[in-house]
Amino acid sequence: MSTVKLLARNVAAQRRAADPRRPPRLVPGNSVSTRLESGVGNCFPGLECDLRNLERRFFPFLEVDVLEDLDELRVVSVDKAGIDAAEASGALDAATAAAYRTLGDNMPETPTTTNAAWMVRVIEGTFGPFGTRTLSLPLSVDSFGPERGPTDAWTAIRTLTEDTAVTIEVRRAGVAPVTLRGRRARYLDDNGALADMFLPGELTQSLCSPWTHDFRDCACFYWASNHPDIALPPDPPANTADIRWDLRVDWERRDRTPGQPPAPATADGPEAQMAHHEINRDWQKLNFVLEDREHTGPYRQKPRTITTPFPPADLERQLRYAAGVEIAVMQAYLAAAFSLRDPESVTGALADDIAAAQYEIMRIAVSEMRHIRGVRDVLAALAPAPPFDPPLRVATRVPGLKANDPPLALPPSALTRERLKVFIEIEGPNLAVDGLYNRILATLELMGNARSEEAIRRIMTEGEDHQKVFKAIQEWLRPHEEVRYLRAVDLARPPAGNLAHDDLQIRYRAVLDSLHKGYSQTTVSGAPDVNAARNAMIGPLLAACETVAQAGFVVTFDFPPDPRFAAIDPPQ
Amino acid sequence: MIRTLAYLPAGPAAPAFHRFRSPAGEHVLIVRHSRIFDLPPEAAAVFDSPSPQAEGLAEALGRSTEGEAPLEAVAMPEPQSLSLNVSASCNLSCSYCYAGRGGFGGLQPEPMSWAVARAAIDRLLAVADPSAPITVGFLGGEPFVNRSLIHQAVQYAADAARSRGLDVRFSVTTNGTLLRAQDVDLLRSHPFAVTVSIDGGADLQNAQRPAASGGDSFALLRARTRALLEAPGQARLSARATVTRHRLDLTDRFDSIRALGFPEVGFSPLRTGGDAEGPLRGSDWPEYLDALTGLARRELRRALDGGPIRLTNLAVALKQLHRGASAPYPCGAGAGYFSVSSSGTWYACHRAIGSPTYELGDSRGLDEARRARFLTDRHVHAQAACGTCWARYLCSGGCHQEATARTDSSCGFIRGWLDFCLAAYCELADRHPDYWEAEDRGAGSAAIHTREVSP
Repeated sequence: MSTVKLLARNVAAQRRAADPRRPPRLVPGNSVSTRLESGVGNCFPGLECDLRNLERRFFPFLEVDVLEDLDELRVVSVDKAGIDAAEASGALDAATAAAYRTLGDNMPETPTTTNAAWMVRVIEGTFGPFGTRTLSLPLSVDSFGPERGPTDAWTAIRTLTEDTAVTIEVRRAGVAPVTLRGRRARYLDDNGALADMFLPGELTQSLCSPWTHDFRDCACFYWASNHPDIALPPDPPANTADIRWDLRVDWERRDRTPGQPPAPATADGPEAQMAHHEINRDWQKLNFVLEDREHTGPYRQKPRTITTPFPPADLERQLRYAAGVEIAVMQAYLAAAFSLRDPESVTGALADDIAAAQYEIMRIAVSEMRHIRGVRDVLAALAPAPPFDPPLRVATRVPGLKANDPPLALPPSALTRERLKVFIEIEGPNLAVDGLYNRILATLELMGNARSEEAIRRIMTEGEDHQKVFKAIQEWLRPHEEVRYLRAVDLARPPAGNLAHDDLQIRYRAVLDSLHKGYSQTTVSGAPDVNAARNAMIGPLLAACETVAQAGFVVTFDFPPDPRFAAIDPPQ
Repeated sequence: MIRTLAYLPAGPAAPAFHRFRSPAGEHVLIVRHSRIFDLPPEAAAVFDSPSPQAEGLAEALGRSTEGEAPLEAVAMPEPQSLSLNVSASCNLSCSYCYAGRGGFGGLQPEPMSWAVARAAIDRLLAVADPSAPITVGFLGGEPFVNRSLIHQAVQYAADAARSRGLDVRFSVTTNGTLLRAQDVDLLRSHPFAVTVSIDGGADLQNAQRPAASGGDSFALLRARTRALLEAPGQARLSARATVTRHRLDLTDRFDSIRALGFPEVGFSPLRTGGDAEGPLRGSDWPEYLDALTGLARRELRRALDGGPIRLTNLAVALKQLHRGASAPYPCGAGAGYFSVSSSGTWYACHRAIGSPTYELGDSRGLDEARRARFLTDRHVHAQAACGTCWARYLCSGGCHQEATARTDSSCGFIRGWLDFCLAAYCELADRHPDYWEAEDRGAGSAAIHTREVSP
């Protein structure tokens, strides 16, 4: 067993267990998932906040209402204390402070009446895409053409570039107009948190219901966990085998009986959901969602898998073996892909399913080629000096599929159901090939080789994708009998002297020769040879595979007698 | 700026992990960087005995991550803390005093002058990292014998800090019996870590720490510290008790000292000292461990119920374990910390005034070669006895001055205490994951010049 699961307890352990590329750090303000920019913005005036309120304090020391039709801006308060403080500190000149005071001292008792209120009538400033100009409110500018301007007052102040000079003229019936100069207020502070000028509750003050109310009708199973619509149910019993605890349920479900798994979510779920008025009343009953699961109590971290590294002196041997494993599984995948019938020889859903399976297996085989390249690059980075011997030997056996399993031979075979199961296990996480790379990665981390670590992580990530694809292929082929999608269930190796097979070996050898030449050099100088290998592979090599398959045999690659490409056994 | 002088590799026999259990479950301490992990049963079995797999995992888990200083480094930072030995005498006459009542056996005959103090402060403020807290401490003898110098030095350093935008803090270790109203005002109005030396209730205090003139030192201490304890202002007070082999019980004296109003009480066992009968010997250490863990268990129960820990040894150890404190040195001696004698010589440690080995320069400059040798010799990887110990980055070999008194028994005590603290940490962290929230948010307190993970 090369991996164990651990829970980080103290800060130093958490630092080690975290992604090494992301050292822990203090982040000012709330977590990013709770910030305004993570909100849902696909409706007006907004779900979690009323977007119009973001502009209420666009001009320093003033608060304005954006009126119903968005065309007018009414001053509702003047921050006299802020003006006094700014003048005392020298941030505001005496003339501007006096102008503000004229406004503040003459505020009507009920500034909600448009006729009696101070109204913003002229704005001069830089209006983003509309350029620097002077606008009179209500607006009467075209919203199209070369002279186009903002469609309304709200749009106008939204487009004002933050921290640029703005001049406004404010008028009230019976009083001389007041002109104020200032800078367009910023929405966020230097730490990225909402600016101090916004008061608690101000952004939501004009909403009529919490955002959860609107989410009730979404039913799209689309949202991220900061706006959950479905989640795994809370408090599963320890070691339960009941699969319902691992099926996503409706976050706003009506039946919240504790201790039993809720019904899985379905697209036609409104009947099972809390009603709108219940959500407005009982929103606090909705559970916190962390790591995809609802929580009703304190969060407990999950164990993390930690892997034993290889002794650093053993790393090169393990990497060469890993490349050999990639070649071995690629050969097995090619044998499987060419064991499928020609999709054009069948009809209906079977044709589509075979075509899809064949395409995906070939895609995975190509991806294994990239893995060989990745391992080659890691080895090259570790190599002391030229000449570099590229890793092109084929593994006789791949790592065992279960913990403590012996290495496994992969003789060429048709894509039977049994063989497909083996492929799924070979590509599974933490064991088999992934287990080998896990240990290689742990060794590189120990040696502190970030670039090589990245190369291995990329290979491992693709492996996860491979397993998903093989599982999908299993689903596609499940409705069909093996005999209907395979050329033959028991495809045999070509006999000695088979011309198609011999021709395939010559093509294979040519690919290996070009690859060896290319991989021996630097990335740039070796590129023409690697390209030649690629062309030889997707042209003559695949054609030769097809010929073998059409002759009724399983595509088989012999171990070349050349020591550069000889068989490689699993390291002891 | 921190210069790295060399890298000293750990010995080949150095254990990489230490298994332990607590009421919260099974755990492992990864020795490098003091990382603590909880172990599900399968993982616990892996670490139950040394094996290539366990060693390999521990090595991987102990790998330094971004921002962690390598434990092999012999690093030489600029001085960040100084203690000024302002007085050369004391009004008490404790039998175990390492300083010979401030005179250091005739090596420090005179109290410090203002010129010496100012030169040392000027030098410290000139070279210290301005982005980190800087500490000026006062020691002696009894520092308040030279009260006017303390007042002058604090005022001078505080003014300089204000004008240069530095975070200067202060510390003083005092017997508390000479404090006057003006001193209390000084301590309240500056960020002072005030450590009052007191060994227990009246009987014990008067027996171990008698007034030189024969008076009642306990009564004097109580009267003179009351005002500060009731209204400490910016000062952070703690009591520190020395334990000799004559009296190893702790709980009663802890309660007696707490009854005076001290928020925290810490204990230091006597390992070396003038009185040959005082230091703890082989068979004393298990008894002392029992006494300390007995008291600590009582404090842990309070903490599990949500209360603060008042036993400094435990509070500091748990905080350090939470953070994952690990260092190749037990303190900053000769690195970021120096102690200035009344004559102006900079020593690596306040306990070594007059000792040529610890003499590293003066306020005009440090002898870098001597300093480098001092730091290299005292790196925990250079201590043969620590090479096979799992506690080596928590204890770091213990006080340099007391290294000669190190025995299997005293090291066994340290490991026993740390084992207790490790289990206590896991139990408390399991029950109250937010217990160290202030620490996690980076809240600091006045810097202290010695690390106190080891008791």
